[in-house]
Amino acid sequence: MPREIITIQVGQCGNQIGMEFWKQLCLEHGIGKDGLLEDFATTQGGDRKDVFFYQADDQHYIPRALLMDLEPRVINGIQNSEYRNLYNHENIYVSEHGGGAGNNWASGYHQGEQVVDDIMEMVDREADGSDSLEGFVLCHSIAGGTGSGMGSYLLETLNDRYSKKLIQTYSVFPNQVESSDVVVQPYNSLLTLKRLTLNADCVVVLDNTALNRIAVDRLHIPNPTFAQTNSLVSTVMSASTTTLRYPGYMNNDLVGLLASLIPTPRCHFLMTGYTPLTVERQVNVIRKTTVLDVMRRLLQTKNIMVSSYARTKEASKAKYISILNIIQGEVDPTQVHESLQRIRERKLVNFIDWGPASIQVALSRKSPYVQTAHRVSGLMLANHTSIRHLFSKCLSQYEKLRKKQAFLDNYRKFPMFADNDLSEFDESREIIENLVDEYKACESPDYIKWGMEDPDSNLTGEGSASGLLALKD
Amino acid sequence: MDDPKTLDLVKELLQRLISTSRHHTSSAAPPLPPSDLAKSLKYAHRVLSSRMSPSISIDEAAMAESIKRSLARQHRPSDALAFADLYSKLVSLTSSLSSSVSVPPRNRWSFLYLVKCLSNSSSQTPRIFSAGALLPSLPILESSSYSGRSSGGVKKGLGAGGVFTVSKDPENMREIALIEHSDLVSTETTVSESVLVRDVLYVAQGIDGSYVKYDVKINGYDLPPDSGSFKVPRATRTMVRRLCELGWLFRMVKDYVSECTERFPTDEVGTVGQAFCAALQDELTEYYKLLAVLESQTSVPIPKGGRDGKAGNYLSLMRLSIWFAEPIVKMRLMALLVDGCRSLRGGALAGAIHGYAQYGDPLVQEFMSRLLRRVCSPLFEIVRTWVLEGELEDVFGELFIIGQPVKAESLWREGYRIQSSMLPSFISEKLAQRILRTGKSINFLRVCCEDNGWADAATEAAAHVGATTRKGGLGYVETDALEAMAVEAAKRIDKHLMEVMYQRYRFKDHCYAIKQYLLLGQGDFVQYLMDIVGPELSQPANTISSFQLAGLLETAIRASNAQYDDRDILDRLHVKMMEHEDGDQGWDVFSLEYNTHVPLDTVFTASVMKRYFRIFNFLWKLKRVEHALIRVWKTMKPNRIISHIFGNDSATMKFQFISVLRRCQVLWNEMNHFIRNFQDYIMFEVLEISWACFLEEMDASKDLDDLLAAHEKYLSSIALKSLLGERSHGIFKTLFLLFDLILRFQSNTDRWFENIYELQPRGNSKFKKSERLKLGSQVYGGGKALMQIAGDILRKMGEDLDSISKEYSSSLKVFISQLPLQHHVDLKFLLFRLNFTEYYSRFPPGKY
Repeated sequence: MPREIITIQVGQCGNQIGMEFWKQLCLEHGIGKDGLLEDFATTQGGDRKDVFFYQADDQHYIPRALLMDLEPRVINGIQNSEYRNLYNHENIYVSEHGGGAGNNWASGYHQGEQVVDDIMEMVDREADGSDSLEGFVLCHSIAGGTGSGMGSYLLETLNDRYSKKLIQTYSVFPNQVESSDVVVQPYNSLLTLKRLTLNADCVVVLDNTALNRIAVDRLHIPNPTFAQTNSLVSTVMSASTTTLRYPGYMNNDLVGLLASLIPTPRCHFLMTGYTPLTVERQVNVIRKTTVLDVMRRLLQTKNIMVSSYARTKEASKAKYISILNIIQGEVDPTQVHESLQRIRERKLVNFIDWGPASIQVALSRKSPYVQTAHRVSGLMLANHTSIRHLFSKCLSQYEKLRKKQAFLDNYRKFPMFADNDLSEFDESREIIENLVDEYKACESPDYIKWGMEDPDSNLTGEGSASGLLALKD
Repeated sequence: MDDPKTLDLVKELLQRLISTSRHHTSSAAPPLPPSDLAKSLKYAHRVLSSRMSPSISIDEAAMAESIKRSLARQHRPSDALAFADLYSKLVSLTSSLSSSVSVPPRNRWSFLYLVKCLSNSSSQTPRIFSAGALLPSLPILESSSYSGRSSGGVKKGLGAGGVFTVSKDPENMREIALIEHSDLVSTETTVSESVLVRDVLYVAQGIDGSYVKYDVKINGYDLPPDSGSFKVPRATRTMVRRLCELGWLFRMVKDYVSECTERFPTDEVGTVGQAFCAALQDELTEYYKLLAVLESQTSVPIPKGGRDGKAGNYLSLMRLSIWFAEPIVKMRLMALLVDGCRSLRGGALAGAIHGYAQYGDPLVQEFMSRLLRRVCSPLFEIVRTWVLEGELEDVFGELFIIGQPVKAESLWREGYRIQSSMLPSFISEKLAQRILRTGKSINFLRVCCEDNGWADAATEAAAHVGATTRKGGLGYVETDALEAMAVEAAKRIDKHLMEVMYQRYRFKDHCYAIKQYLLLGQGDFVQYLMDIVGPELSQPANTISSFQLAGLLETAIRASNAQYDDRDILDRLHVKMMEHEDGDQGWDVFSLEYNTHVPLDTVFTASVMKRYFRIFNFLWKLKRVEHALIRVWKTMKPNRIISHIFGNDSATMKFQFISVLRRCQVLWNEMNHFIRNFQDYIMFEVLEISWACFLEEMDASKDLDDLLAAHEKYLSSIALKSLLGERSHGIFKTLFLLFDLILRFQSNTDRWFENIYELQPRGNSKFKKSERLKLGSQVYGGGKALMQIAGDILRKMGEDLDSISKEYSSSLKVFISQLPLQHHVDLKFLLFRLNFTEYYSRFPPGKY
């Protein structure tokens, strides 16, 4: 019972990061581009491949991956690449008309609804093929049309059909500093965020703004390409799954990994940090890497892949709800305790007041097949209240656009917004506002009582069409 | 030399010498051919005029001493004594004669030197004699002319003119005093001294004399009391008594020897005892020799020179007392040993004798070490075969190592041990341990490992230490050699043993397997096992079939990475159901077992495995609690519908729900924090660190004892740090209370959420948005009863939650307060982790 995880990659961005992720996984497990084990990897290396792969009759390793897009460009690219034989061709869905979703969430959502049977058949088949399905991992972006819209629909459907399975997403948030070519991105983000809040168990937030910043500042790449930022994402994704792929005393399943990170259900948006960072083929300056160095660097904002839009005053109030550091490489277990002690002495972390908390450390082996210049590398998965500022930013951008009533026509074309019914927007906004509030409340010691004696909610009280807590559909 | 008189003398001497020699060598004495005579004469001249001088300094006393010593060295103490006596006579005579006949002292020295050379050469090959035709005649000359007159003969040979004269010298005061004394004695005694001397000599051999007899009453020899016909002066009596001590001692030694010889072979004597007897017997033989010499001298009268008629015998009581001085010391020693060691045997005997050897007197020391060498040789021989061949050829149980027949698994621990009563004090405890271990290793290899490679190692060791280890080559004085042999053999055999353990029996692999399976290191396997046996184990213990569990175990192995492990290792893994009582759940009795065979069961004995079980049970319980908590999380995970239930129902209901739910989550968080950090602690501070230490020590282990100690340390450090130690009993109880609370929390949440889910379909289902809006009012309309139920459920849940929460926090408080009181320092790491944010110290007690 390998606790299989099915990866679903939706849309252009989702497929790109997914492809990078599988590339990385193949490298780490010594699986060749065609799915066959490399000669050097034929002896058992203590790794567990069947979480993410299954073996076909001819011993090929096939990723438990579903590739979906409404336009064929990226998937065709994959199918023409050297990895074309890696994936199960039955697991690839490209919309017949190939017109895409036109960066419209509503279009993606609607198209998803149209083809749900086809898609779910693929999902069901994959799920049936596993002994004890742990859950799904969805890779997508929340700004475009397909990843956000179709991804949203998929989330709802999966949540409904596989309510007991874990649903984790790697969600790429748009770059909110530079002007985007997708003008309706705030709409798409908001609508997707609602699903991420309600229908996902865990959302790993990958902020393109921060990824770009890291690429520029940390890796000294002046104009990072998508491929380069995507490789950052795939590094994070593969690192966060190492404990599942290299079994040890603890953290052998995804649910165990995530449960401690997410003590309260609503606050399930995680930030990531990774150090030391390198991009493929880039020779980086080799630094000293000890456990303490790694753990300390992971706590520095510059290494965190989510931008913090917080003002200084608010930032000082921000608190960690939980932290999990996955340390890879040759680590002497005694160093872990020393590092934790040092971090506490220096008061480098600010934890919540309403409950006990600590930095969890998971040690994991490094793949023997991938040579890195660093002895130790580390990934941080953290539940930090400052993420609310990211959502606030999304909200404010949405408000700006909404005030102008801009671009709403594109949405009205689709059933959900037909008859000028924009309640979905309002509902989503409420939910996100509420999410922001809950995160804010987490910064206070009285979180336990929060939301119960809220006078506003008492006023809206009984019979209100849209409650403070949204009704699930 | 040029003096014609001298030349004539030489010629005459030569003629005489040759003729005697010829006379002796052949019965007929044909005249010597003149040519030969001339040749010999020429040779003699050359020798005499050559002024040859030996390359040693001329020191008469030293020469005499060296002769005496060489005699003593040849174990002829009686001869040595005789020589000393003769020499002193010679000195006194020559000095008294020096006035009339000129005998320069140099000649005396030359004479001594000659005697010494002759004695040396006689013991060697007669090479010297073949060099010249003349020289062989010299000893013949001596022996022929002085036979029967040994005391006087010396003087005769000495006299420069070959004339035997003893002048009546008024200066010879000692002589006169002696004669006067004997006169005095003879007047007082009715029994002549010579008779007493004879008696004493008899007594010294343990035979009653005509007067001196063994008296049982006083347990000693004595003269009969004075009576009319029998009168002995007091001084003589005392002297006789004193001399008879020797007889008494002799009897004791002799009795012991004959007693032992009779009893052999029995356990009480043993080979060491036998060797002791043999050594004693040899000493007695020497003693007999002395007595024989003395006896032969009893009849020899002292040459009295001028005083006629009154010539006493050479041996007087006084002289005897001098002669007996050394034998009596030895005899006393022997008697002491015999007395002190009567009840001892084997190593203890050797040890006791060694105790007596710690003596400053070189005479005693030498005697004792000679004795000990003999006594110890059988003992050392046993040690040798033990160390090099692993055979305990100790028929009489004399060695300080004793073996007992045991099962192979306990051979190492119980098969052999040191019997300290048999450990001679000259073998240190450390050496004894080493000797014990070396032989034990060989036996272990032979019996448990069925290995023969040790023989090479032993041979190599024997070759390395060299010849001293040959059979019978080890003696008392060679304890260093013994030690060297033991060290060498131990080094090689232990090395071989370690190789066998590591390579052939894959000790490390088995330890790792135990860590992976019994200490739950193979996480995926453990998780899967937990998943599939969990439902089984919730049943009462007596209804569970261990066959079924065995099947599940196999499934878990196949489904996890354990499948890639060695089949040999996996086959050793079994399910074990412990004894159970009524009411026990499967959880309480389930355990994994790792079978080890000979020789590994020496390390993994039943009691060691029992301790592993305890650790397993603890870790298994911890895993189970962790598992339970994860299950709770899954029932209320973010996207489960309950998070959104009652969304648009009455506000009071909603808040009630939110309140209960959040309390539930916060409590979960606290429990999870505790368990996660406990697990972290177990992994980092307990298992991994102990394992790392163990690996290090394993590599440094030189022998099986080291290895056992390292393993013991590993195991006990895990047990101690996991609060399984004796002293952690209290806190361990609290810990289990916490575990049980968490499990109760889990079963309660299961029930609560089941109830809530029952409300679910009525309140919510998958509808299209439009339908849902329409339906909303319906829910409201018909929801009164539902609300009622929901309200009840939530109230009940809140109450249960409160009670669990209260109990939990009070128990946790107890646990945290007990934690610093624990003895193991590493437990402070646990506290550090639990209280990382100082959450538990920030709030005053009672807050939670």
